[in-house]
Amino acid sequence: MAATNGATIEKVPVYCYQCVAGPDLLKVIVKDGVAIGVEPNSDFAEQHPACGKVCVRAYGLIQKLYNPGRIRNPMRRTNPRKGRSEDPGWEPISWDEAFDILGGRLSTLRARGLVDEAGYPRLAVTFGAGGIAPAFLGTMAAFLSAWGPVDQGIGSGQGVKCYHSEHLYGEFWHRAFIVAADVPRCDFVLSFGNNGDASGGVTGVYRHSEARVRGLQWVQLEPHLSITGAGAVEWVPIRPKTDAAVLFAILHAILVEHGWRSVCDVPFLTNMTSSPYLVGPSGYFLRDPATRKPLVWDLDRERTVPFDDRLCVRPAMEGEYLAAGVEVGADEAVTSVSQRVRPAFGLLIEHVRPYTPEWASGIADVPAETIRRLAAAYLRHARVGATIEIEGVTYPHRPVAVLLGKTVTNGWGGYEACWARTLLAALVGALEVPGGILGTAVRINRPAQNRHDSVRPGPDGLMEQSTNATTREGWKGSPHIRNAYRTLVPLVNNSPWSAALGPAHLPWLFLDKDAAPEHWPAPTLPEVWIIYRTNPAVSSWETGRIERELERFPFVAAFAYTQDETNWYADLLLPDASDIESLQLYRIGGTKYQEQYWQHSGWALRQPVAATPFDTRDLTDVATELAARVGILDGYLEAVNRGAGTTIPLRDEGYDHSFKPGDKPGVTEIWDRVCRAATHALTGGRVELDLDWFKRNGAFFVPFSMRQYFLHTTMVAQGLRYEMPYQERIKRMGEELSARLHERGIKWWDVQLEEYQALPKWKDFPGIWQQTAVLRGKSAADFPFWLLTSRSMQYSWGANVSLPILADVARHVKGHFGVMLNRGAAARLGIANGDLVEVESPTGKTQGLAILREGVRPDVVVILQQFGHWATPFARDLGMPNLNQVASMDLTLTDATGSGADLVPVAVRRAS
Amino acid sequence: MRWGMVIDVRRCVGCQTCTIACMQEHGLPAGQVWRFVADCEVGEYPDVRRLFLPMQCMHCADPPCVPVCPTGASRQREDGIVWVEYGACVGCGYCAVACPYHSRHLIHEARGYFDALTPPELATAQPERVGVMTKCNFCKERVDGGRAQGLTPGIDQEATPMCAVACIANVITFGDLDDPKSPVARLRAETKAQPLLPECGTEPSVFYVVE
Ligand code: SF4
Ligand code: SF4
Ligand code: SF4
Repeated sequence: MAATNGATIEKVPVYCYQCVAGPDLLKVIVKDGVAIGVEPNSDFAEQHPACGKVCVRAYGLIQKLYNPGRIRNPMRRTNPRKGRSEDPGWEPISWDEAFDILGGRLSTLRARGLVDEAGYPRLAVTFGAGGIAPAFLGTMAAFLSAWGPVDQGIGSGQGVKCYHSEHLYGEFWHRAFIVAADVPRCDFVLSFGNNGDASGGVTGVYRHSEARVRGLQWVQLEPHLSITGAGAVEWVPIRPKTDAAVLFAILHAILVEHGWRSVCDVPFLTNMTSSPYLVGPSGYFLRDPATRKPLVWDLDRERTVPFDDRLCVRPAMEGEYLAAGVEVGADEAVTSVSQRVRPAFGLLIEHVRPYTPEWASGIADVPAETIRRLAAAYLRHARVGATIEIEGVTYPHRPVAVLLGKTVTNGWGGYEACWARTLLAALVGALEVPGGILGTAVRINRPAQNRHDSVRPGPDGLMEQSTNATTREGWKGSPHIRNAYRTLVPLVNNSPWSAALGPAHLPWLFLDKDAAPEHWPAPTLPEVWIIYRTNPAVSSWETGRIERELERFPFVAAFAYTQDETNWYADLLLPDASDIESLQLYRIGGTKYQEQYWQHSGWALRQPVAATPFDTRDLTDVATELAARVGILDGYLEAVNRGAGTTIPLRDEGYDHSFKPGDKPGVTEIWDRVCRAATHALTGGRVELDLDWFKRNGAFFVPFSMRQYFLHTTMVAQGLRYEMPYQERIKRMGEELSARLHERGIKWWDVQLEEYQALPKWKDFPGIWQQTAVLRGKSAADFPFWLLTSRSMQYSWGANVSLPILADVARHVKGHFGVMLNRGAAARLGIANGDLVEVESPTGKTQGLAILREGVRPDVVVILQQFGHWATPFARDLGMPNLNQVASMDLTLTDATGSGADLVPVAVRRAS
Repeated sequence: MRWGMVIDVRRCVGCQTCTIACMQEHGLPAGQVWRFVADCEVGEYPDVRRLFLPMQCMHCADPPCVPVCPTGASRQREDGIVWVEYGACVGCGYCAVACPYHSRHLIHEARGYFDALTPPELATAQPERVGVMTKCNFCKERVDGGRAQGLTPGIDQEATPMCAVACIANVITFGDLDDPKSPVARLRAETKAQPLLPECGTEPSVFYVVE
């Protein structure tokens, strides 16, 4: 604490986690008890990969705290009618009354039974903001754990709009829930719309900047020139949703035109992938009849041998061989084979043969010579055979990466793009090695804290995979929550994250009784829906339809920062203590999310920096009080003791900070014990630090080895192979899922079942979206533009649309606040800069001011983020349109993993 | 001694962290900026480049904004910092017209962001700036305060302009251009950084690295 000019200045360390790229560390400057500013926390300049800096959103935290547009007290609805034109008639109440209302509802519901007649939980809870909610929820997860069945799968946009295929397939192939380039050691990136300079947080921006100056060549393929494209050496304006075609053509150029033996990492392909495995006529691996091991063809001994035969040094990668064995298909169906078969790699070469650069050029509007040039550059930079030493370990060094962005990694075509990208890494051995592509997080497998420990030997020399069973005995035919992820999406598994990663828009789609699918439980509404930082009336597709459904929800309790478009329909508003008003210890460092790989890991504290200006409550105290009101306090404390929500058990070997039955601790006591347990566990008992220490110092770190970044060593140590290129398991799970659904008469998921291919084929992916016009009796030709969205760094994730200071700075970045379109295309339509334009899709219309640019394809219009607010203070005056207002929510637009994409065929004209 | 900056445009992503940090540092009223980052496009589709150009006062060695001032409020220090003595400024705006970089900003009224001033707006209000000319002053309070504590501007966070401290991409390097060993002088020499609009002849102290 320092005194200047009679004023007392304090600097309070906290973390910002307003986006998934956090947490980042900062200090809040407090003058005479009022928070007035933010500065980087240079105390941790050495530990933090971006020298302790924070981005533009963190500077908005001050206004976020004192924003007079906040909900200031708990409020209850007095108008029983719900609708956009119905004023809710909010009436301020005390927290005690609010707990009475919500606790009473929950107790009644508990007495009636936790699950309704359709088999769905009567309580639903939606935490928005993707992966950041856990950093703010305090012990709320412990409350839910003590409660019992809860539907956490009613989506708010997350789950279906994230990097969905990358999450599911990335984790399947290399424990890469998020795929990042090893930027500090990478020389060449082919980025298909990856917008890391807007989405990768402080660390992403910092790393990219260092790499650019070092000479990293970044090529950006995307329909409009994004923030990240600005830093690229080349912009390739690709047609939307055709990324897989270009990726397939690059595979063709490498495998067919270059001659793969001379350019690929042959030892890697032979020994670390399933490329040599022989494939039988039904498309399953040819196996030894006795051991069921996949067979390879030994070129020296001229016969089949099991894949793990140590004497086999030259397994065939191509050719056709007369061989005998068995295939094991869906539901363990065994077929004997004795005929000519081929290795998986040979099938791959045949598979990509038709995908020539000329073919892709016609689809993607990218010249064939550009595709060939990029393929050649990729190979040249890959430096196959090079090595690098890191912390005393010699690794292969493959400084090339292919990155994918939003709309590429989700919705139809996402599987194909993710497969091709991962295969491109495998071809040159750039998978999980320095310079190549890495996973940074594990969310579907366990343990979540250590990617290497999540790798265990599975069948066929491949990694064990945790999936939702598709076997006759194991399949969960009756959905246990409304998005049915365990029933429909084997890959999403059943981890604490799975509900949010399921087809989170299906509940909305099926709530409409006319849309209720055949042979499926009747749609029911949750009797109590608790929501936090979620605004599906803005962030889901077909916002009008969402609003109509919201009118029907019987009871909604909303933790609310401001009035917004979803909590307009709520029954109870609960103002939770915001970012720098509440207390929570959170994990920091290690490897996670976008570009977050550190050389330290540890714990950081968020704490109240000043007296809270309004009647808000810390969510930990809310969770404790609610648990008491519904009579589950002891169960809740036991969940806290287990580490639910905090991720650290309060009792373990060598320490016991657990709560006893009958306790009713306050927020500081809970987090004090978490601080002690967390530091004890992190240091093996060498250090135990309490809450006061964290309040003064902000964070505690231990070194984190860079060897943790690369899965390579663990794969080698365990003798495992990556499941590339041939997807036998995917094919089998698809066939089994198809059988299960058909046994129940369910046909409405048939198109999705087509995604389960061993070697994915190109489909007319853009055409799937264009069909939305035809499905509504309109002509696709009437909607000649593609409407896309793009990230605004100033606005994403932070729940900050109501802050005018962010609008003040964001307006310097193109796209705020209007509709971006190509200057030439606009001229043809008679549209000038600043004109009001109408954007019409097969399902709706919206309007915004034209922002003319050269860096947008002539057939594309772009609307940033998700605005279109009509209830949120300040944001409702921005006049900013929203893609979701005109996007349709259709089963046909839903892929096999349950995701869609922000892509809408539209017409554009000057508004009259 | 001549304070100056090298701005490495290759690094900048236009995030406006520097913009908001500057607004906060100087407690600027709603809608005012002393610096911002322009989002520029060069070329025609499909041969387009997009780049982000941080814009602020260039602290010209030969600043036309100083001699035009009828009251002497517009001043230049020995160390090159160009600033406004608010008490002497009558808000005539001659200097703003003279500046080729549009770097001077008259504060007509000290508006807050909401109907009533918030506690931090009240705590950081500077009523002496209403009705007078304001501009980037290279955070002279930080530079001077830091030096008084023996710190080195451009090296120590507390003595360095806030935009440079806050920038998340190491775009802005600040320091003494006259000290050949300072990071800013070395970077200027290594990168052959150039001023914007040199033809205006104002001898800026801010240099840009573009390629
Ligand atoms: S918003 Fe994200 S990137 Fe920015 S400081 Fe916060 S956590 Fe870091
Ligand atoms: S940029 Fe403008 S305000 Fe700044 S010193 Fe030069 S002339 Fe004066
Ligand atoms: S903070 Fe740095 S990267 Fe961001 S806009 Fe300012 S100068 Fe550019």
